[in-house]
Parts: sequence; C-alpha cells; structure tokens
Amino acid sequence: MGLIGIATAKILSSFSVFLFLTIILLAVARRISTSVLLFGLQSAVITADVIATAFQEKLPEVYVVGVLVFAIKVMVIPRALFVLTKRLKTVRDVQASTTPTQSVFIVAAIIYLSYAAVHSYAGAIHVSDDALAAAVSVILTGSFLMVSRKKALMQMLGLLVLENGIFLAALITTFGMPLVIEIGIFFDILMGLLLMGIFTFRISDTFEHLDVSKLRRLRG
Amino acid sequence: MRIVVDLLQALLLILVAPLVRGVVARLKARLQNRRGASVWRPYSDLLKLFRKEELVPPTSSAVFRIAPVVLFAAVVCVTAFVPVVRSSALIDWQGDFFVLVYVLALGRFFLSLGALDGGSAFGGMGASREALVSSLAEAPFLLGLTAIAILASRADIVGIVAWTLKQDFFNISTVHLLAFGALAMVALAETGRMPVDNPTTHLELTMIHEGMVLEYSGPSLALIEWASAIKLHLVIALLIAFFVPWGMSAGDSWTSLALAVLFYALKLAVCAVLLSIIESAVAKLRMYLVPDFLGVAAALSALAVIFTIWVKR
Amino acid sequence: MLLLLPLAIPVLGAGLILCFHNPRAATRAALGLGAVEIALLGVLVWQVHERGALHEGRYLRADGLSSLFLLVIAVVSALVLVYASGYLRHMGEGRFSSPRWFYALVFLFLFTMISVCVSANLGLLWIMMEGTTLASALLVGFYNTEGAVEAGWKYLIVCTVGIAFALFGTIVLYIAAVRAGMSPASALDWVSLMDAAPRAGFDPHLMRLAFVFVIVGYGTKIGFVPMHSWLPDAHAEAPTPISALLSAVLLTCAMYAVMRYDAIVSRAAGPLFSHSLLLSFGLASMIIAGLLILVQRNLKRLLAYSSIEHMGIIAIGLGLGGPLGLFGALLHTFNHAVAKSLLFFGAGNVRLNLNTLHVDSIRGLSRSMPQLSAALVIGALAIVGLPPFSLFVSEFGILSEAFAQAHYVVAILFLIMLSIVFGGFAFHFLGMLSGEPNRSPENARLVPSEYTTMACAALCLLVFGARIPHGFAVLLQEAMAVLK
Repeated sequence: MGLIGIATAKILSSFSVFLFLTIILLAVARRISTSVLLFGLQSAVITADVIATAFQEKLPEVYVVGVLVFAIKVMVIPRALFVLTKRLKTVRDVQASTTPTQSVFIVAAIIYLSYAAVHSYAGAIHVSDDALAAAVSVILTGSFLMVSRKKALMQMLGLLVLENGIFLAALITTFGMPLVIEIGIFFDILMGLLLMGIFTFRISDTFEHLDVSKLRRLRG
Repeated sequence: MRIVVDLLQALLLILVAPLVRGVVARLKARLQNRRGASVWRPYSDLLKLFRKEELVPPTSSAVFRIAPVVLFAAVVCVTAFVPVVRSSALIDWQGDFFVLVYVLALGRFFLSLGALDGGSAFGGMGASREALVSSLAEAPFLLGLTAIAILASRADIVGIVAWTLKQDFFNISTVHLLAFGALAMVALAETGRMPVDNPTTHLELTMIHEGMVLEYSGPSLALIEWASAIKLHLVIALLIAFFVPWGMSAGDSWTSLALAVLFYALKLAVCAVLLSIIESAVAKLRMYLVPDFLGVAAALSALAVIFTIWVKR
Repeated sequence: MLLLLPLAIPVLGAGLILCFHNPRAATRAALGLGAVEIALLGVLVWQVHERGALHEGRYLRADGLSSLFLLVIAVVSALVLVYASGYLRHMGEGRFSSPRWFYALVFLFLFTMISVCVSANLGLLWIMMEGTTLASALLVGFYNTEGAVEAGWKYLIVCTVGIAFALFGTIVLYIAAVRAGMSPASALDWVSLMDAAPRAGFDPHLMRLAFVFVIVGYGTKIGFVPMHSWLPDAHAEAPTPISALLSAVLLTCAMYAVMRYDAIVSRAAGPLFSHSLLLSFGLASMIIAGLLILVQRNLKRLLAYSSIEHMGIIAIGLGLGGPLGLFGALLHTFNHAVAKSLLFFGAGNVRLNLNTLHVDSIRGLSRSMPQLSAALVIGALAIVGLPPFSLFVSEFGILSEAFAQAHYVVAILFLIMLSIVFGGFAFHFLGMLSGEPNRSPENARLVPSEYTTMACAALCLLVFGARIPHGFAVLLQEAMAVLK
C-alpha cells in the first residue's frame, strides 16, 4: 500500500468533514476577505480529493484536472478577488441579511437536508454518503450565500461556491468528465468571473455602492 | 496504587494551574512585543494574597464570605473527574460529565451571588453579564459532551477517554470536529478569555469576571484567583482528554506514567500557545455580539448531536 | 469545413471589426461580414437538406433540427444587422459604447449561438450556452446607465446560476449514461445517446432528475415563469437591436437545447414525465406573462413579457407532442422570431423619435408617424395570433393538437390567455395610436434601413400566414424527423 496509498485512502474518507467545516465557517464569516480565504481553502480540499481520486483510480487525465483546479481556484481566483476587493474600496463587511447564529443554523439544516436527500441515490450509485452529501451541501450553501448576502462580491463568491459543489458532485460520481469538457467549463467560469468583475466596477461607478439589495429600480 | 495516581492527577491539576496561567500570560506578552512577567508570578501573587488582611464591605452578608470558598471547593471537586495521564480518575460515575458541567455552574452561581452581595455597581454589572454568558454557554457545553458520549456509547468521562484511545486518529470524525469547535468556543466563554472577556482589562465597564471580584481582597481573592486558574487548566485538560488523549499511559509503571506526563506537558504547551495566539489576535466582542458567538457554538453542538444520531461517525 | 467556416467567420470578424476606428467603416465591415456569414449559413442549411446530417470531428454536427434553428438565426441576424446600422447613429461616444464594440460583441454573440446549434456533444452545448450569457451580458449593459447596469448584473447572475443547474443536470445524464454501459467519450454525444436510450439500462430516476435540472437550468435562459426575473429587465434596458436578438434568437436557442434533452429523456424514460414538465412550465409562463402584460407601462417590457408568453406556447406545443403539436412548436419558433423582431424595431423607432417608451405618455402615433404606426399595427396583430399572419397557423396547430389529445384544460387555458393578451395589446396599442399627437417626433418618416427591415418582416409574416413555402415545410418535416 505504501504511505501515499494510506494517505490517499484517508483523504478520500475524511475530506467531506473539512468541506462541512468550510461551509459552516462561510456562514459565519463577517468579512469579505475571510470568505475569499475560506473559498480558497475549500478549493484546496477539493484539489486534494481530485489528486487522491486520480491516484486511486489510476486516471492520468484527472491529474490534469487537479492541477487546473489548483491553479485556477486556489491561486488565481482568490488572488483576483482580493485585488478586486481592494480596488473597489468598499466596506469590508459582508452585509449579511441573517445573523451569524441564524446562518449557522440554516447551514446545519442544509447539511441535514443534504444527507436526507442523498441517502437514496448514494446507495444506487455506489458512492459514500458523506462525499455526495458534502457536494450537495456545498451547492446549497452557495445558493444560500447568494441569497442572503447583499454585496455584489459576495454574490460572485456564492456562485463560485455553487460551482465548486457541482464540480465536486461530478468528480465523486463519475471521476470527472472528458478532459475537453472540463477545460471548457473552467474557461467559462473564468470568463464569467471576468465579466462579473467588470460589472461590479460598473455598479460601483454608477451607483457608488455595491449593495445589490438597493438595485431595485426595475420592478414589475 | 491506582488511587495514588488518581490523587496525584487531581493535585497536578490544582497545583500546576497557576503555572499554566503564568505561561499563557508570558506568551501573550511575547506576542505583543513586551517582555512580560515571570511564569512563576501567579504563585508569588497567591502567596502574597494569602498573607494579606481581608477587608469586607460593611453592607455584605455571610454570602460574600462563603462565595469564594464554595467556588474553590466546586472547582477542586471537579478536578477529581478529569483524567490527565491515565484513563482513570478519582471519581468515575455514570453521567459524571453532567455533574461536571453543573458543579462548575454552581461555583459560578455563588461567585455571582457574592458579587451582588458586595453591593458595588460593577459587581452587579459583572454578575448580570456573567449570568447571560453562562446561561448561553451551558447548552453547547452539555450538547457537545453529550454528542461525544453518545458516539462512544459511554456515560462517564473515563469511559469516553478509554474509547477515544482506541480510535484511529486519522479517521477524522465529523462529530468530533464539530464538538471540538463548539467546546472550544464554550471553553473561551467559561474561562473568561478573549473574545468573550478580557482577563487583563482595567476598564471596569468591559469587565465580566474581573468586575465580580473587584470587592474581594486577601485570602478570598487568592481563592478566587486560584479557582479561575484551576478552571482554565481543568477545561484545557478536559478538551485534551476528550479529543487528543493519545499518549496517556495504559499501566501503572513509573516509566509509562513519566512518559504520559511528558506527553501531557507537550499537549498543554501547544494549547497554551494556541490560546495566547487567539487572545492576541482577536478583539473582545461587544456584549451584544456575545450571544451570536455562543449561538454559533450552540448550532455547532446541535449539528454534532444530529451527526451522531444520523451519521454515526 | 462547411461547419467550421460559419463558426470561424464571426470570431475573426469580431476581431477585425475592432480594428476599424471609424464608425462608418466599422458598420460597413460589419454589414459585409454579416452578409458573408448569412450566405454561409444558407449554404449550410441547403447542404444539410441535400446530403443529410453533416459532421465535423467529434463535436460538431448539423442535422435537420439544427438547420431550422440556423435559418432562424440567419434571418433574424440579417434583419438586426441592417436595422442596427441605422439605429446606432444616435449612440453617443463612450469608451466602450462605440459601434465597433457593438458589432464585435454582436458577432461574438452570434458565434456562441451558432455553436449551440451545431454542437453534437452535450458538454459543448453547455459551454456554448454559458458563452451566450457571457457574450450578451456586456451588450445588455451597453448603455451603462443605472438601469442598464442593474439589468446586466441581474442577467449575468441569474443566468449563470441557471446554467450551473443545467450543468448539474448534464452531469446526472452523464452518470446515467456511463452506468448504462456507454463509454465516457460517447456518453455526452447526442447521436450515441439517442441510439442507446431505447435499450434498457438507463435508470429512469436519474433521467428524470437530470431532466428536472436541465429544464430549470435552460428554462432560466428561455424565460419560463419562476425563473424569468432577468428577462423583462434585460430586454427593456438593452439597445433595441440587441433586444430583438435576445427575444428572437437567444430564447429559441435555449429552447433548442431543451428539445435535444427532451428527445433523449423521452426515449429513455418515457415521454410522460418530460412532457408534463414542459406543459406545466409552458402554461405557467403563458398565464403569468399574459396577466402581467395587462399592467405594463414600458413598451419594451411589454414585448419582453410577450416573448415569455410565446416561449410558453412553444413549450406547450412540445409538451403535447404529436405531429401537429411538434409542427406548430417548430413553426412558432420562426414566426415568433420574425414578429418579435418587427415589434422591437418599431419600439426602437418610438424611442428614437419620441424619446420615451412609456405607453401612457404617447398619444396619436397614427397621425404623427403613419409609417411606424402601420408597422406597429401589423406587428401587434401578428403577435396576438390573428389571421392572416403566420402566428395564427402555428398557434392553431398547437391548439388542434390539444383538442385531439383531449387535453381540454390546456386548450381552454390557452384560449383564455390568448384572449387576455389580445385585450392587453389592443388596450395599450390603441392608447398609443389613437387620439391627438402630444409629442412631435424627430422624423416622421422611417429611414431606409428601418423600413426595409420592417417591411421584410411584415411581408414574411403575411406570406407564411397565407401558405408556408414548400422549402420551409420540407425543412420543418426534416426537423421533426430528427426529434422522433
């Protein structure tokens, strides 16, 4: 088995715990920089899982995907978001519409719901309950972040967390889609972020704030 | 032989406590770029206080004088429950973690009473804040311990520690992680450390624990200070026993016990470093944010219990 | 080669147009490139008709269904490019709001939409659908006003979230295919999936789950009712040629994606589930959009809700299935595209000449701008489904199918909503056209680019209403054959 083999097996069996930790901390984070850091950590955990899967299933393509995830989601995107936060000169607070206590309880409910929802499917697809529930809870937490945070940057982050969850679900169930498709998806995410960055600049220029709950001119 | 070791464990908790406090204070000073007092300073403080004259406010009753004694007695009692170097303790009942939580609560209750009895405004303020913090901290404390107890299917602390010793460290259990998060936050609240309460503050309006002891002097103050040091040591030892007990000796031989003491000292040192880093890195929470802080702990512990029942790992 | 050229020209053209700093030169380059592109698309459609489905590599494929939608794209983009050449004369000079950026972004947008129609691989389809959102976001926020920026942001966020859910649906489909024994390389290929689906092995639960996510995800781009919040804002705040492109082409491409998935899921898990979902979303869209049309005050928002309603009609046609229902739905995609373009062009002229889009504050248009009123009247009559215009034919087809399948509730609701929408349009448009004019327009006559496009669209609606040209009918038959 070897040391690497043991390490791989341990990573695969316990990475979901760390993902739960990151989403709980995301729920209580009060500053944008903390949330971005947590997103980076979450992507790092997912990278570890990708590499471990590649090692165990002996799929060389998945190594490439792992490197891509690390380069884009752990290095490039958090750094870009930090730079964006600084350039926008906005208030550092997350402007959540729920208190940290309520958010944590909502995330706890999300985790419970994910386990309940995944229970019937996980047995059929032969994946571990924990891993699939972790993926679904990350998806739901991303949606929750988008809905409850009023800053435009936090909506972007919620979207990124959502896509993290979807990527993880794909990884767990199918060990990754064909490489070309994965690269296309990454490219799309990057372009999407670029555009959202452009738009946040435009919002802050036109409206002089980044509170999307105040963007309510168009209604009906 | 076993009883001697258990007695020595309890004495260790009681006597080394001021040293722990001194080390934490020294580390904080170093982190804040000061030289700091010597690590043995709390001992000399205690000796000094025991020799001084006690002054009591004229308007106080017997409660003012009994309160420190009850607090000290409660904390000393609780040291009998906690295993330190061996998975055994002086008192080993079924359900003793409940007793632990509530005996500590008894001590706090009497301290609050004494503060109220002292008649000063800051005593009253400290007592009411203390009531808020301790009532909010009680639920997560209990739930966190219960989650682990259910997981281990044991109802006594010693049994839980014995069960944990048999587990594989690298198979990280969600329940343990969540319970550790909840209990760590509660520990900060129970022992009166940042971000809930600043133990070194001199501004009365920011005090919780310090406000309650403003009126005390002489041996009563010594007892209170010692009791709070023992409580800090105790809570750290409890967390170590529940979550990282590996290194405890299995048998009674002197070599294994000495080795266990060494491991324990190492873990204690790590905890002291972590505590001083946390205390230096975060600012004290304003009073209206403390319920949020403890609410997060409550949610974490509730989640831990749900995981115990639903996922069982 | 034939498939690659229509994809390469818009991309290269976009880059080329950015090199022209003179707006007039950029416009001329855009028109030239547009003409080339449309000719290429025409050739492609004709070749698919002659030779059957065409392949290029593993990822590109054009069959009967693709060629129908490519024809829609070609016709609408021809109209839009010509109209835009005149419309942009009033655009101010901003850092990014010059005609060259406009045309460059339009060509990128066209590239993504054409790629959607010629993707053989469902993964590539997803990537290009996300690409349409990204390419058009800057176009929606083109004017950079408060409303435009808000609309653009909402569009970007809501559609990206929707498409993320569609990705999840695609992944679930992939899982089902791989578990049924297909090789990973071909598990996202549409033709292979269609071949493998009737055989046993595809878990119906997974297929149903996949379709739910796909219809919610791509349905966000189509504008189905719970997910439609971005649509009125985006269509109202975008420049008029872009609104026409969004309403006529983008929504139809998203519907194309749902059609492809519906075909697979119907084969694998039976048509009942997917068709009932389509029917529910279609009815919900018709009802809510129809009711909201009554209370609209902004002309372009009114037209946007009408687009939602018509997408609902197409979904009902698809959901009913059957030869008439499918025929009606496919014909309706074309008819709606042309009619909506006509209406948006009219709205654009209203905005240009009267500086407002508020229905309440416009009076007497028939006297101050007779040519424009004629166009608006034709467009309105067409869009509510009156004969002799072509939308009547497609809606009648769908309605007959509803009666033939004894879906009486669907048919009754369909008729009721059509009447309500007719009432709404009549109320708003009569208000605008009748009475004494209260604003003097800049020009009472239309410029050549405007009246040629509007006349073409109106003519097309009349001709198709009278009798569907044989070539087009053959194209429709081939498209239907693909989906059977």
